[in-house]
Amino acid sequence: MKDQWVKWKLVFGLLIWIGFLNGCSSPSDPLQEDGKAINDQKPATHTVEIKQMKFIPGTLTVNKEDTVIFINRDILTHDVTEELSRSWSSSPLKANETWVLTATESVNYFCSIHPVMKGNIVVK
Amino acid sequence: MKKSIQFLCCCTALMALLLVQQTTAQTNPKLSDAEVASVAVVANQIDIRYANIAKERSASNEVKEFAQTMINDHTAVIEQAAALAKKLGVTPKDNAVSQSLLKGADKTEKDLRSKSGASFDKAYVDNEVNYHKAVISAIESLLIPETDNAELKSLLQNVLPAFKAHQGHAEMLQKKLSK
Repeated sequence: MKDQWVKWKLVFGLLIWIGFLNGCSSPSDPLQEDGKAINDQKPATHTVEIKQMKFIPGTLTVNKEDTVIFINRDILTHDVTEELSRSWSSSPLKANETWVLTATESVNYFCSIHPVMKGNIVVK
Repeated sequence: MKKSIQFLCCCTALMALLLVQQTTAQTNPKLSDAEVASVAVVANQIDIRYANIAKERSASNEVKEFAQTMINDHTAVIEQAAALAKKLGVTPKDNAVSQSLLKGADKTEKDLRSKSGASFDKAYVDNEVNYHKAVISAIESLLIPETDNAELKSLLQNVLPAFKAHQGHAEMLQKKLSK
């Protein structure tokens, strides 16, 4: 009888402990966020082609943390540089070379080699 | 009476069209694909010559960077044209148009070499704007229409956006220099 009482106490304690852990889980719990399964929130991959002296598409709308791949389809070398203060820049991209950016905020960019070439990324 | 007026109008329109065609034929010399290739290569070489002078004579980093871009880009276009000519078995052939371009370039080069400092920068950048305008116009109205080979025509069409971007870049510099 005493053993059974100890067993019940253990089960009860375990249940309280599990409840406590659930209560402490962060909002970014991998199971759900804002009612959506985490699978729906996986970062997407987008491509911007550099072709005929243009960034195509010129405006790209993405979610935060999405991946943007820039690929140079021109015969000339280009780069991708943040326009306002040149806070970041790809290295020069020769024909068919690529560069990957993780979108963290909306940004205007340009080719610092050919400054008339401009594009922007809008983070939703 | 009405019919004879219509007939007269048609004849006048036909004569005007013939006159335009004749004038166009006189203005645009007939070029073979080998001659078109020569004009394309010479036009690119000339801008590289101007850029090398700018690298020697300009004190402005921005002008020097622009000149380096001209050297890199026009060299890439020449390499592309040379590779295509080799593939097609075409040897660029000297002709009156390329000769005329070279003659003009000699004169411009002499003029650029006589200048220095801000006066040189202005002359170089002004010339870049005008030279790219002239080359774009020649490609659109002379070289592309005169080219028979589809790949050569396509190469000429593909380099046009680059030349237009160069013109835009030169115009940006022109504005900065005038401030």
